[in-house]
Amino acid sequence: MGLRDILTGRHDVKGPAPDRLFAISTAYITLQAEHDIVPVGTAAIVFQALATSEFEATLKDMEEVVRATGGDSATSVSSQDDSYGYRWMILRSPDGAPSVEDLAVGINAVSSSIETAGHGERLLCAVFAFVDARKTRIYFIYNYKRGFWYPFVPESDPAHPTASDEAAAQQRSTERELQIKAQMASELPMEPELERWFPLWGIPI
Amino acid sequence: MKWMASRHQSFGKDTGLQARMLLTMFLLGLVYVVFVGVLLAVGAAAISVVAIALVLLLVQLFTSDKIAMATLGVKEVTPAQEPELHGIIDRLCVQADLPKPRVCVMETPMPNAFAMGRSKKSTTVCATRGVLQLLEPAELEGVMAHELTHVINRDVMVMTLASFFATLAALIAQFALFFGGGFGGGYGRNNEEEEGIVLVLLVSVLVYAISFLLLRALSRYREFAADRGSAVLTGRPSALASALLKISGTMERVPSQDLRKAEGMSAFFIIPARTKKSLMNIFADHPPLEKRLAALERLESQLQSAA
Repeated sequence: MGLRDILTGRHDVKGPAPDRLFAISTAYITLQAEHDIVPVGTAAIVFQALATSEFEATLKDMEEVVRATGGDSATSVSSQDDSYGYRWMILRSPDGAPSVEDLAVGINAVSSSIETAGHGERLLCAVFAFVDARKTRIYFIYNYKRGFWYPFVPESDPAHPTASDEAAAQQRSTERELQIKAQMASELPMEPELERWFPLWGIPI
Repeated sequence: MKWMASRHQSFGKDTGLQARMLLTMFLLGLVYVVFVGVLLAVGAAAISVVAIALVLLLVQLFTSDKIAMATLGVKEVTPAQEPELHGIIDRLCVQADLPKPRVCVMETPMPNAFAMGRSKKSTTVCATRGVLQLLEPAELEGVMAHELTHVINRDVMVMTLASFFATLAALIAQFALFFGGGFGGGYGRNNEEEEGIVLVLLVSVLVYAISFLLLRALSRYREFAADRGSAVLTGRPSALASALLKISGTMERVPSQDLRKAEGMSAFFIIPARTKKSLMNIFADHPPLEKRLAALERLESQLQSAA
């Protein structure tokens, strides 16, 4: 930001970076073939849902668009709000036929319609769920502001956290994440600054 | 109007606020230029005072956050200790494209929050236990977004630099009083020199008084700017308004013990209280609540009518 912005205390929320979302739709082939990390068949896009009737209307149209584009592949859409007030729009491939390409197309349809409506700066991230040979969940998170990917490996199963050890459950396997970074750096544009590998706890996919 | 064409640009635009802010800064600068001019006219010895003040300024810029951490009993918390606070800040950092600041909690029932540090890379955001217990997640998010906007706008830096000459003026006034103008030099005094000292003293007092008022005005404008920044960042102006209402409601009921502690710290600083940017404070460098609520209401209606 420039000197003038600092002096006037003015800044705008950054819009999305140049799109590198589709890197996942080729990278997953390497993940599957060489590293035994297979897609679960779910992906989600996380954004701030503005509490305006116009934004809700955009969302409704958007779900229609995703259902329509997913017509052949039968990708299903659902949405939910997390405890921080962010909206998760979750896309699921039909059982037994996970297709990362279709999910990426669907996620892209959602993000482009939010951008077309003039709310691109509300996009937070997209999440693709994978699982390795030891049945550990591995998430690939795409940061819209930065246009970079990073892996996120929570150590406990996020789908079944128990209330008592919620805090204790918030452990991530940094070692595993760094291994994946080393394996995939040539395939996926990875976030170079490790301090921006922000965790997302309680991912619902 | 051209800017109406793009909705997300027009949301939260406040040209009047920016103009007032620039005007205040211009007037501050004017006062300082006159001040330095008089200093130089009176004698080169005054320059040594400037040097001392410069050193103090640097010390303040680089240590104020650590001193505040130590004196206020602010403790850094891990994600495991405060998952919700960390979760909120993580998301806001992604949203604002910021590196993650240090996250601290101050164990006091007084609801408050502040940000410290001179740059985006070395920042600490702090929430009190009271504010964590009082607010809903969306409200807390608004409050933390307000504090992060102070970081983005580099308010600590701007305010510290802006108040540099006020500090200098206060210093010189003190020097002149304590040493009877001893900084004029070791050689014998004459009438001309005595007059010079009185002049410096008078100008210093005047500079201090004027810049003090201007600084407060600047601080209030930057509070408005941070409220606006928070609303733009979260897209929820009303959540911040609700948080402000809750905090101010509690502020009136909570006994003043902790406030006195906070005030003690402001005496400790060379440039009091304004170095730590608190969201809701009794110091008059914050705009009145009604005005902040009105500004947030305007943002909310801008947002709603954007359709």
